[in-house]
Amino acid sequence: MEKSTDTSLYMRINEQDKAALEQLYDRYEKILFSFLYKMLEDRELAEEALQEVFIKIWRGKGVYDESKGKFTSWLFRMAQNTAIDLIRKHKKPTVPIEEAAQMSSNDAPVDQQVEWQEKKGQIETAVQRLSAEQQKMIDLFYFKGHTHETIADMCDIPLGTVKSRIRLALKKLKISLHGMQERGAYDD
Amino acid sequence: MTNMDCDRLIDYLNGTLSANEIQQFEKHMETCTECQEIVEATGELPYLADPVEPPAGMKARILSNVFEEEHEHDTPASALNPAMSPIPLRKKSSKAQQMWKPLIAAVLLASLLGNAYAFMQLSDQQAVQETAIQSVELQPTETFSGTATAAMFEEEGSVNLVVQADQLAELDAAQVYQVWLINDGKPIPAGAFSPNPNGEGASYYQLESNSDEWDTIAITLEPKTGNELPEGEVVLSSEI
Repeated sequence: MEKSTDTSLYMRINEQDKAALEQLYDRYEKILFSFLYKMLEDRELAEEALQEVFIKIWRGKGVYDESKGKFTSWLFRMAQNTAIDLIRKHKKPTVPIEEAAQMSSNDAPVDQQVEWQEKKGQIETAVQRLSAEQQKMIDLFYFKGHTHETIADMCDIPLGTVKSRIRLALKKLKISLHGMQERGAYDD
Repeated sequence: MTNMDCDRLIDYLNGTLSANEIQQFEKHMETCTECQEIVEATGELPYLADPVEPPAGMKARILSNVFEEEHEHDTPASALNPAMSPIPLRKKSSKAQQMWKPLIAAVLLASLLGNAYAFMQLSDQQAVQETAIQSVELQPTETFSGTATAAMFEEEGSVNLVVQADQLAELDAAQVYQVWLINDGKPIPAGAFSPNPNGEGASYYQLESNSDEWDTIAITLEPKTGNELPEGEVVLSSEI
């Protein structure tokens, strides 16, 4: 059977096609759950966030079209925002955990695993090229969902420059990623 | 592009912008390659996560909750007239029937509206919380063969708009019939639909503000979903 594109699935979901939502769910369950778990560090909260994401998609809150870039960027941004809302709602203490419970599993379809591992390798390399402070800021900003004030405190930088520093870190990440993708990656 | 707009990138990624600001920023991104590329690069960050096994039964729980939420969300009709018999919307249906659901819901709502009118006429001394405002027939343009009716009713301060259409021409994959409410030449999107193989389509939309502000309802044929302003031709319209 031909694999539907994300966009065509999304359009069918807009027409309230449950089978399409289920397909999209299957396609992204693993990465979304793992990502949300990384952010929330709690399996129940991660499930709650994931459910919220699919409710938003099903109800058509937030509209995707291809002018907004890749579907996954849009989807992940929605997941990330949902997790941030939960973090702020629960005022969860964000103690960095060791990659403790390695509930690692490999029952996702092989092509998804391969793609994930490939992208993980690329993004890890790109992140490693950032300064330690920049890495920390991306973690605090993106994964931990901290406010600018907290980040200013934690990184000991003036509040007024937090946004531009985060932007600079992300920009460097982008340049580094692009460089790797253009060269066909894996030269490090 | 202005620096002011670029400044919002971090707030955009951090989910602290209002819906309106999000729209403005996305408009800005259309012309700002750098912001666009940073957003795309950020979209790769989730792949840093280590694979984690989801809890057992999560898929079934989530999907049933998602579809359950949808039922609760799209059955305000049950509140229209509490004295009426239960609405068979919750009935489980097979996949083949799925595409009918929005249409059935709309037809049901419309028929409820009819009942609500009759109900109010019969018992006008009785307090009825929900008020059916009006129902109109939309007029097709000369080159368009479809027909549509729109019905509005008010419920707990919000206005619900149901549109149902038939004899619709088939669309390309990306196209959509978009409903607009217009006030003094200014349209807002108010639901969208695509025709089923029988050329029928329906939309349901909940508005925050009161219908008094609208002077026209129109349906356009849009090249893509999610347009905030009409790009396509008007195919059906009516004054309201």
